[in-house]
Amino acid sequence: MNKELEHSFVELLEKHQNIIHKVCRLYTNNYDAHNDLFQEITIQLWKAYPKFRGDAKFSTWMYRVGLNTAITLYRKSKRSINTQDFEGVEFKIKAEDYDDTEEQQLKVLYKAVHQLNDIEKALVFLYLEDKDYREISETMGISEVNARVKMNRIKTKLRTILNP
Amino acid sequence: MDELDLLKKDWNKGDNKFPKLSYNEIYKMILKKSSSIVKWIFIISLLEFALWTFISFFLKDTESMKRFDQYDADAVFIPLMIIGYIILAYFFYLFFKNYKTISATDNAKVLMENILKTRKTVKQYVAFNLIYLVISTIVVLFLEFDRDQQVIDQVNQAAANGEAFKFYAGIIIATILLLVVAIGVLLLFYWLVYGILLKRLNRNYKELKKLEV
Repeated sequence: MNKELEHSFVELLEKHQNIIHKVCRLYTNNYDAHNDLFQEITIQLWKAYPKFRGDAKFSTWMYRVGLNTAITLYRKSKRSINTQDFEGVEFKIKAEDYDDTEEQQLKVLYKAVHQLNDIEKALVFLYLEDKDYREISETMGISEVNARVKMNRIKTKLRTILNP
Repeated sequence: MDELDLLKKDWNKGDNKFPKLSYNEIYKMILKKSSSIVKWIFIISLLEFALWTFISFFLKDTESMKRFDQYDADAVFIPLMIIGYIILAYFFYLFFKNYKTISATDNAKVLMENILKTRKTVKQYVAFNLIYLVISTIVVLFLEFDRDQQVIDQVNQAAANGEAFKFYAGIIIATILLLVVAIGVLLLFYWLVYGILLKRLNRNYKELKKLEV
């Protein structure tokens, strides 16, 4: 592969790496698994990069490859079992943002989201990233109406998990 | 406020919670090898093609195969062999064509469908081989009864003792049992390998399909 392509890719990825981190955050629950998935998404993005055309936004393109890797391509490694859990280990919360009740609520919410299935997580991810239903439907390959219906069902499901 | 909206608020301000990877760290990542399921399906499929080709080459040199040379049955064996190779080439072509269409930039559903299609091609190839195995066995069995002097002598002897039916039935049942065991072991192996590999994909594909109803 030519050096120029490598350079432009790594530079773009460095800038947009949070998108991958966010995908990993939803689909994994420990540090090793996070890194593993991050690695695989990066490889898949790099493999697909020669076909990336500027007409799509780099970030939009990343959503697709990232989610496809998390949902379909990635094989969970054995390492991810029995390792330390994320909670409070990796993500430090800045002191000024700290709000006890809200923080507690968020913790429970993240836990609830982790209980959703892979497809539901993908929809939640795109929703949290502020994508409209057209983009959600295009990324998942389902109709807009179905994306909307599913999203409502997910909200109900989350509510049930939170208030059993 | 909606639960998800609360989450959204936190989600978007959380950008600095993640470890920031440097240019060099990312560069090192792109040099590593993928371990995606597509790669595994590709490797296992190639092994399957290799296995069946190996079996057919291996069988050619065995003692019993050499015995068939005496049957003067080239008219049967050669077409059977040619058909086998043509079909192998056809499946090989299909497999690579399908494999090439797998792209991580397709939408989630199309990607899953393309992977399942590749898998299906190999499945059909295996099914073809199993059917081919059964047909070959029947042909060989028929030829043995018809042309193998040793077998014919045994049949005649059995017939003289009034046990011709028992003799035929014994051989046929033994052959069927052997085939069933061989096919059973192979199917169990495929079921295990692909069952493990594609469990998650199948589950997710079903979930997406469910949305369409």
